[in-house]
Amino acid sequence: MTAKDPSGKVVFSESKVLMPVPHQLGIGDRMGRGPYDKSGLLAEWGLHPLEEKKEEYRIFLPTKDKKPESLEYTLEVELWYFPFGKKDEYAPLWRKEVKKVRFSDKEPYPGA
Amino acid sequence: MRWRKLLGYVSVPALLVGLTVASPEAKTPYKEPLKKAKTVDELVAMYDSSECVNCHADIAEEWSKSLHARSIFGTGRTIATILTAYKVGLKNFPYAGVKDVKDLKVEHLMFCAKCHLPQLAEAEDSVAQEIIKLAMDYMEGDEKTSAKAQEKLEKLNINCLICHQRNAIIHKWVEGYPERKAVYGSKSGDHPFEKMPKMKHSSAIKEAIFCGQCHGLGPNFELDEPSQCATAYGYYLWSYVAKGGMKSCQDCHMRESGLGHNIQAYRDKKMQEMAVDFHVNAKPIYWRDGAVIKPLIYAIVEIRNKAGHAIPDG
Repeated sequence: MTAKDPSGKVVFSESKVLMPVPHQLGIGDRMGRGPYDKSGLLAEWGLHPLEEKKEEYRIFLPTKDKKPESLEYTLEVELWYFPFGKKDEYAPLWRKEVKKVRFSDKEPYPGA
Repeated sequence: MRWRKLLGYVSVPALLVGLTVASPEAKTPYKEPLKKAKTVDELVAMYDSSECVNCHADIAEEWSKSLHARSIFGTGRTIATILTAYKVGLKNFPYAGVKDVKDLKVEHLMFCAKCHLPQLAEAEDSVAQEIIKLAMDYMEGDEKTSAKAQEKLEKLNINCLICHQRNAIIHKWVEGYPERKAVYGSKSGDHPFEKMPKMKHSSAIKEAIFCGQCHGLGPNFELDEPSQCATAYGYYLWSYVAKGGMKSCQDCHMRESGLGHNIQAYRDKKMQEMAVDFHVNAKPIYWRDGAVIKPLIYAIVEIRNKAGHAIPDG
């Protein structure tokens, strides 16, 4: 997820990895990567069947004179599938949503 | 008497040595063992399903677009990983007995081939060695050598005869062993093809357990060196079915997707659409700490996995 101001400046960026953590030979505290190296799981952070995950973000924005630096921001959220653990030519983008977030410029009463 | 004693003493260690060096045979599903292939070409010929296209052209066309049609080459990453398994894994495993390509036996590659090329069990060690040489040619050879290796590697696949014959029967004591002169599917009867004149019913082929033979449970404990590639059927059983999920692999990947034998997964747009619901909601909030205004965006991302397995699995 990234948040950008109207000039395109990124004011927030965060990514989260959802995946099982394969266990190296099923022994000890090390993660394995290659199929010849993996046996079992150290942890399971993937998305389970029929499961819904809600990720909540509270993105504090820069201010100027007690007001937001910008009244409008663009939020871009992308869901990628990384078959080999990183963004490469094999990784498809599954979803992308873009939201405009606009702050009010009027105070409800003077000095509010 | 002294000779017998002496022979007795000699024969015991000789037998033990024999047991120590013998490799376990990779298991083949046929009741009557096949004459083993000595080359990749012979293995391709043993499971040649090119004649199926004469009557089943639509299905063959669908299948040709799937990774089953190039199961050991894959997108190029599969064969690269198999080569890594040899170089980083097998050559460094102290008891694998592999220091060079010539040391490779079929059993060494079965931790990949169990699913990527199960018919390797019907081949001699020379075929395992040839596959790794081809992988090296593909990865490390010049353009011409690499293209030639790719062409040969792409002939090794999960084709009609693997699903509709070799692996068609799971419970062989109940349904019998697969026969080389039959093809297996939803019906029984005559099959108008001279080489395989019988059509036999396979109970498993439409069920999730059929796919679970390869898209499996986790570590392959039956191997001397267990590998783990897929865990999809494990999630299917203990997470999807446990939550009341009622579909089979074939329901989503073949029927509802409309893909038929072009069985796809994460790379396919349709499967991506079917796999998850994804929503983003966001709103502005003027947060305040006393008199200090702190504007913030409050956003919630919701992802729901609609598939019968974890995303990703592995």
